[in-house]
Amino acid sequence: MMDKGASQPSHRYSVGDRVRVLRDRPDGNPRTPAYVRGRIGMVVALHGQIPNPLDHRDLYPPLCTVRFALQDLTGRPSRDFVTADLHEEWLEPVPDEGW
Amino acid sequence: MTGQSGAHRTHLTDPGYRVGAVAADLEYFRTKRLEPRVLNLIRRGVVSLHDLMQAGSPTAGDQRNEAASADLEQRVRMLEDRLDALVRGIATVMVPMRSADVVIEDMRRERGDYDGFFRIAKRTYAGSLEERMVQLGLQLFECQELLDAFTRALLAAGEITEDQLEQRRQAVRSQGYRNGARLVARAWVDPGFKQRLLEAGREAARELDLPPGRLGKLGVAENTEHEHNVVVCTLCSCYPHDLLGDPPWWYRTDEYKQRIIDDPRAMLKETFGFEVPAERSIVVRDSTSDVRWMVLPRRPEGTEGLSEEKLAELVTLESLVGAAEARTPSTLA
Repeated sequence: MMDKGASQPSHRYSVGDRVRVLRDRPDGNPRTPAYVRGRIGMVVALHGQIPNPLDHRDLYPPLCTVRFALQDLTGRPSRDFVTADLHEEWLEPVPDEGW
Repeated sequence: MTGQSGAHRTHLTDPGYRVGAVAADLEYFRTKRLEPRVLNLIRRGVVSLHDLMQAGSPTAGDQRNEAASADLEQRVRMLEDRLDALVRGIATVMVPMRSADVVIEDMRRERGDYDGFFRIAKRTYAGSLEERMVQLGLQLFECQELLDAFTRALLAAGEITEDQLEQRRQAVRSQGYRNGARLVARAWVDPGFKQRLLEAGREAARELDLPPGRLGKLGVAENTEHEHNVVVCTLCSCYPHDLLGDPPWWYRTDEYKQRIIDDPRAMLKETFGFEVPAERSIVVRDSTSDVRWMVLPRRPEGTEGLSEEKLAELVTLESLVGAAEARTPSTLA
């Protein structure tokens, strides 16, 4: 799903990075789902910056698909996952384990 | 959905279930698409309340009554058909206007996706099946009247033209899940196409002469032996509808949006009768409007040698969002 060429501002994150979703980001895209806010996930795809003028007038920052283990969201054992497509202004890096 | 949680496939033919589905969908399109659009244009001075009143045509009361003689099946079908016509009409009137620029994001704000204050109250339909059908028939009628008045008011104000409406009508007709079925069937027989579809879905659609639409990216999530994908939009109802037409009606319901995130395995089993093998992970894909996802189902066993057209017949609307697998050839007969 890499966007070649079209995406001017480059991604801050790479596939495989662990990221935490901010709890709030008042000037960010308001559509970040509540259930992933404050949660840790892994970047699994980069989409670049996506012009979508029929949907919104201004460009949002580059978009990442972030995968969350369902058990981290619900607290119940599960082998399943949820992915959310999040714009980078909502993400912060998570130091590697053993930090 | 209809309050019948745990509804199984067999319920999909039950009149009570179907009437509940029409009610849920009508309320969605009324409160999320039609009325916010009207309110937004009034707020911005593009049309006025008085314009709408002038464009309205008072209807004689007896025109509102359904043919009471028709049998139950016919009357349920009539409600479904009128909802379809209404939904197509709403989609048709969404054309660019002369003096106002409206994007989908404006509608999300206007209808209260981000702020409950703006939300338009949904009606509930109570009573016996008969009573609910009467209420629903009336409400469909009133919605259609509003849509017609709104359309006439925009035309009268010179905000939109008949030509635009006709072009849009044709565009709406060309959208549909069969487009998705064709993409899937081609991907099953042509690995190179599959790769292009996974990398840049909308561009790949052009290879099949499909109008690719313009709503961001088309994300294609491939099902494998190890991973089953299912698509949702928890915030609104993002879907590649400019290419694939409307998603299944339940895709827009709050029950689906909540349960598929909370417990996808149980949701798929109890609501759709679809048991995902224990060793296969489920990946629920929650969309934004910038990447609109569809599922590429697995090719069923025993389909070697089937033509691309036959393969496309195995792809259902449900399988394109991951609520089912593609059908097997034995179910086609």
